[in-house]
Amino acid sequence: MSRPVTAPAAPRPRTAGAVTGVPLLFALVRTVLLLALVSVAVFTATELLPGDAVDLRVTPGADEEEVRELREELGLDAAPWRRYLDWAGSLLTGDLGTSLVNGRPVADALAQRLPATLAVVGGALAVATPASLALAWWAGGSRRARRLSTAVLTGGAALPTAVTAAALAAVFSGALGLVPPVSLLPPGASPWQHPELLFLPVASLALPTAFFGASLLAGAVADTVRLPHVADARRRGVPPWRIASTDVLPFLLAPFTRVTANTAGGLIAAAALVETLFGYPGIGSLLVSSLASRDLPVVQATAVVAAAVVLVGLLVGDLVAALTEPRRRPVR
Amino acid sequence: MRRRFLPAGALAVLLAATACGGGEEEQAAAEGPTLRYAAVGAPAATTHDPHGRVGNESEYLRFAMLYDVLTVTDEDGVVQPRLALSWEPAGEDLDLWTVALRDDAVFSDGEPVTAHDVLFSLNRIQGKGAENNGRLSVFDLEASSVVDEHTLELATHQPYAEVGIALASLTFVVPEGSDDITEPVVGSGPFQLEEHDDTTAVLTRNDDWWGGAADFETLQISAMPDPAARAEAVASGQADVAGSVSPASAQQYESDDAVQVSTRPAGVNYPLVMDLDTEPFDDPGVREAVKLALDREQLVETVFLGYGETGADILNSQEPFAPDAAPVERDLDRARELLEEAGHADGVELTLHATNSYPGMEETATLAAEQLAEAGIEVQIEVGAPDTYWAEVWNVEPFYLNSLGGNGFVDYARMALLSDGPTNETGWDVPEWDADFAEALATEDEGDRHAMLADLQQRVADDGGYVVWGTGDGIDLAGSGVSGLPTGPGFHRLFIERVEVSG
Repeated sequence: MSRPVTAPAAPRPRTAGAVTGVPLLFALVRTVLLLALVSVAVFTATELLPGDAVDLRVTPGADEEEVRELREELGLDAAPWRRYLDWAGSLLTGDLGTSLVNGRPVADALAQRLPATLAVVGGALAVATPASLALAWWAGGSRRARRLSTAVLTGGAALPTAVTAAALAAVFSGALGLVPPVSLLPPGASPWQHPELLFLPVASLALPTAFFGASLLAGAVADTVRLPHVADARRRGVPPWRIASTDVLPFLLAPFTRVTANTAGGLIAAAALVETLFGYPGIGSLLVSSLASRDLPVVQATAVVAAAVVLVGLLVGDLVAALTEPRRRPVR
Repeated sequence: MRRRFLPAGALAVLLAATACGGGEEEQAAAEGPTLRYAAVGAPAATTHDPHGRVGNESEYLRFAMLYDVLTVTDEDGVVQPRLALSWEPAGEDLDLWTVALRDDAVFSDGEPVTAHDVLFSLNRIQGKGAENNGRLSVFDLEASSVVDEHTLELATHQPYAEVGIALASLTFVVPEGSDDITEPVVGSGPFQLEEHDDTTAVLTRNDDWWGGAADFETLQISAMPDPAARAEAVASGQADVAGSVSPASAQQYESDDAVQVSTRPAGVNYPLVMDLDTEPFDDPGVREAVKLALDREQLVETVFLGYGETGADILNSQEPFAPDAAPVERDLDRARELLEEAGHADGVELTLHATNSYPGMEETATLAAEQLAEAGIEVQIEVGAPDTYWAEVWNVEPFYLNSLGGNGFVDYARMALLSDGPTNETGWDVPEWDADFAEALATEDEGDRHAMLADLQQRVADDGGYVVWGTGDGIDLAGSGVSGLPTGPGFHRLFIERVEVSG
């Protein structure tokens, strides 16, 4: 009872060549414009906060004349639009400016911390992405346990990072004693030399992210496994692993990349909290403390770098989507 | 095809990979013993300039070890010589002082430390007065001069007998001409800077330091903003000392043999501040009622978990000239009576401001409000954001919590109690008190002067706007091999060169 010849061919994702240079250029321009927009938004938001760097640098009761001089020295007496343009201008020449708190180059501060955050966020992505796919598979694929799986995913995604971090530290460091409770990097050491210090921050970030990613992906999985060619492949007795790899996964690539880019953005935000909790110095804690001291050049640079990571991720996601989006042609 | 691939599996793999990592020991095996100090600090504000705004305890600690200071206070709060050997009045008026410096202090580049370097540094500190609380504003540096290589003459604007205190702890001496200290400059202190990034500084012992080489070879200072993380760093052996942890951490590790709890008196002080110019605090009866209505013992027990002392409204109880004030006993009947006499028989409604940037401050406000309510003072609590509290509440609102950790009374009085003081937050405007303060500082005899200063503090305690209900200990944690941590009040905590580390 085999009718192999008449079986409808699985729709193929579009292949390269369909993407011309024009949409790519358009996507690039859009990314650059969005970045500019982000920098304006961050600048405006910080500007709207009460007080500037000088207010937070001087001590109570400071002499007004001296305060004015300090403000002049730091260039904070200029109009906001002027300061923004100055900043943007020097950014275009590759200069990130100097900190208003300690006068040191912002690029230095970023360069010191970026590797640490990339290690944690990258590690968390490396764990969370396959995990979210696996979870989505379980949730989207099961018809029986739909309610349960939705509850598990929503519950997991709603876990505050602080709670996850505290629980993981209690279990893996407190009860089991496997890893140190804080992630104090020895001076000059790269985080990769001390994977035991990365465990808690990475796991605290990865766990909620995996559930969040899965809850976004579960729908796509559910839709895909109900596509006619998948049902048909099943009827034909194609082994599940082949259905998964040739009939389902290609359809998930686009949503999967987009979800990953989005979660990467969330991860950078959550990293600020995790870095503080575990005493691990990255750009998340840099953003928090520079915001508190109104150190605008540092805030701007950190936010733009973080935004660039997300926007470039989304750009890649769009490209992948453009390359692989299946055409929903009627079955021949 | 439904494989149950839960993240637990992925975690287990990662865990297995990391558990084999091990490796804390490798760098501890360097030549001499290392002291690893986890200090309070938020990385972004890291600065190398010891004279401007210093936002982090970790930086003060670094500066105190890299640079010599003129004088220090000891474990009893008494001024002691450091780079300055002596300070003597150069006349009857106590407004010109001869300061003799050590002649054996040397910067790490081999140049001797001279009076020129000291005067340059003092000028630089004064020039950044807006950022350092007007630290040296008593001095008239234009009228001050270098006498010889190791002697200075310092002029003060008014007679000022407590010059030793004015020069204490934070007078970091840098080489003359160091106008820009964006990057570190050489110092003459007990340690030298080996390497640093924004979070961690590694200092090595200065074997030629005039005070004698430190017991440990390397000092590693890490800035960690979270108090619980600092405590855990010591408990897990990743650090030897954790500066300023919470009372809860102290309690947690009190029975742990591997962790020592070390306390410094009056490291924390959250007085209630009342503005004498605003109703109802313009009535001395109301102020006294507030002072009598608080249950100070309960506050110390609850806020500091017993790591502290009740206060009798004395702003600084740790200095040699602090008055022996009798404890203030709670007396609700008398408090109600005073309110009634002040025309508030039906009670008073107040708003007390606090912020949560300091551990225990919000608890203080909550408990104080409950206690005051029992005397008929209805208190609403308003919690302000940490980064705007000092601009929008402090010295603005009529009733709030301040945070004074170990401010010296004389310095503090100059700023906040003299009627023209720049931060007179309580509106304490008593010409007679101002005159007596000036007279005390023009009194050369230490015994007489101290008696006068004690009386001045007591008068503020009795009639002023500060309710110093108690002070909390500064609490440090140390690993079992550490001994000799500083236990004195104020900035004594920064001078850690005589700490010993074993094992």
